[in-house]
Amino acid sequence: MTDATAEQALKDRLEQLRARYLERLPEELTGLNTLQDSLTGQEQDREVLDELQQRLHKLAGSGGSFGCAELSAAARLLEQRISSWLGAEALALDAASRQWLADEIAGLSRTVPAQSMEPSEQPDVGVLPETRHAVDRVLKVWLVEDDAELAGQLGQQLQSFNYAVRVFDGIDALKRAVKGEQPDLLLIDVMLDEGRENATTRLVDCPELKALGCPLIFLSDKDDFPSRVRAVQLGAQGYFLKPLDVPRLVSRISQIFEERRAPAQRVLVVDDDADLAEHMRLVLTAAGMEARVLDAPRNIMDTIAAFRPELVLMDLYMPEYAGTDLAGLIRQHEAYIHLPIVYLSVETDIERQIEAMGRGADDFLTKPISDVQLVAAARSRIARARQPEERISKDSLTGLLKHASIKEAASREVLRARRIGRPVTLAMLDIDHFKRVNDAYGHAVGDVVIMSIATLLRQRLRQSDVIGRYGGEEFVAVLPECDAENARRVLEDIRRNFAALNFNHRDERFGCTISIGMVCSADYPEEDGPDLLVAADEALYRAKRGGRDQIQRAFPAPALPECSEASTT
Amino acid sequence: MSELQRILYVEDEPDIQAIASLALETVGGYTVKTCASGEEAVREAEAFAPDLILLDVMMPGMDGPTTLEALRGIPALVEVPVAFMTAKVQPSEIAHYKSLGARDVIAKPFDPMTLSDEVRRIWKAAA
Repeated sequence: MTDATAEQALKDRLEQLRARYLERLPEELTGLNTLQDSLTGQEQDREVLDELQQRLHKLAGSGGSFGCAELSAAARLLEQRISSWLGAEALALDAASRQWLADEIAGLSRTVPAQSMEPSEQPDVGVLPETRHAVDRVLKVWLVEDDAELAGQLGQQLQSFNYAVRVFDGIDALKRAVKGEQPDLLLIDVMLDEGRENATTRLVDCPELKALGCPLIFLSDKDDFPSRVRAVQLGAQGYFLKPLDVPRLVSRISQIFEERRAPAQRVLVVDDDADLAEHMRLVLTAAGMEARVLDAPRNIMDTIAAFRPELVLMDLYMPEYAGTDLAGLIRQHEAYIHLPIVYLSVETDIERQIEAMGRGADDFLTKPISDVQLVAAARSRIARARQPEERISKDSLTGLLKHASIKEAASREVLRARRIGRPVTLAMLDIDHFKRVNDAYGHAVGDVVIMSIATLLRQRLRQSDVIGRYGGEEFVAVLPECDAENARRVLEDIRRNFAALNFNHRDERFGCTISIGMVCSADYPEEDGPDLLVAADEALYRAKRGGRDQIQRAFPAPALPECSEASTT
Repeated sequence: MSELQRILYVEDEPDIQAIASLALETVGGYTVKTCASGEEAVREAEAFAPDLILLDVMMPGMDGPTTLEALRGIPALVEVPVAFMTAKVQPSEIAHYKSLGARDVIAKPFDPMTLSDEVRRIWKAAA
């Protein structure tokens, strides 16, 4: 076996084990639930709690190895709580504690990630390797809306974006449905039953809905303060006023789903207390981050270059070198001037903290720091550090790279392709007759069309591919390590799917098409990124002239000046 | 001590047993023998002649520490390094397990892709 096939075989087996584990998990969770249900508040609970504690301990120890880090963390917290109850002399759990436990155990199921795709549903290997994400399956959006007309319209639009929509006319119908199935996102109208029912009030008393843990967005025709506050308290990720700005709503939804597939946050821990460092690494890993402990101070720059941390947690006092020395060293390197550094120390003297912060660090955390605090501090700092970069390089409507960034990516990938001796394919895509869409239906509808092609590109291409909005209705995709044949197959799939989409404006339905020009670096061994983009643009122009809704591939002149796809591939 | 090759792995949970042996055999290339209980480990260990022993801490019947004690009573195995695997990883607990004679503690849940690296690290430190 080559390394690659061996690795794939390993991944397959890990995936099988994981599937088996996930399959058995519901039964285990039901078992926990049955156990907690038998608690009475009397001394004889001890036996039940013992059993619960052991089972939770096992879950805490196993979940993360099967990709359920959140389950591990949640089970560990419960295990610790039960252990503290068992430590008491006399055992008498009051009703509130029992209810809390029941809720927490019921909530464990929402920490379990959705089952990944069945092998049979997976796209052709070779074209779309394993980088495709499990979230690429059709996502389920459930809409609770009693206005049938609005529900119908919104449902249709969301379906155009490949979301599977189910409509409910009230909270009770939703409650019945979640017993059998779970949505990936909930859209709920605040005012239901012709204004007699306020959904935010109802949901506060619905543990089963709160336990779903899926993203929640409210729709409302009233902008009232109490409902908005309750929405925040319910963990809503959006509050949209009617009349609905559908493109913005769709953009928010795809953004929420997008966040789920963001790369794990990377943290470097620098602490001479090996046990504590290891503990922090475990806690951060359990929270879904990638954490590494620096083994020796002198390796710090090599480690940073290789691991590319987005945050450094730095002990202030270490025997060999002070944290401030290492922070200063990092700051000597221009590339890492903005790398967030946070000191960890037992130092409580404010003046000394301030002095330390003057030397290269951004913040101070005082030990002992709780696990929850550590995770929260790391997470929010990295999230904030990521934002500006995103805002500079990404198009606000589509979330794709902007012109300059995608051009840069194209150049970079062409150079890389040459270095590693593998082809890269560039494609330029342009929506046909887009001006007519804007003129006939308005810019808001035009935006929906633009977002839908962006969504399609994201869904159909690999995570390693780079996609950008090149101009108004023009897009560029960079497909590294992909030859012309494979690229054509994927692009053809995108072209076909886009043509099949239906867009709505009032009662009118219309469709759109795209033309695509593609170029493979293998056909242009001497040219660089900008040259290849020009070639792709020329091929795109040929596709337009040839009647649109088609793909044309560029070939170097004059060898094959006007070759059409059929005769060359 | 020469090379790390044979690992005796004691774990009662079938899921974890499966994923850890896969990780150690396929990723690490080791020869792994698994035992589902401390009792079984004490019976089988000498014949297998492991280079390293991994012990789950919480098992029904003989738990990890008890198994370690029993294994230490087998003269042929006195020198064999032992590591615990556990979901409890407070610094104080790690120190406690080390005081029982374990070389190190591997935290659960472990990452199947890096478990064999961790085991190799422990082996090297012990050598």
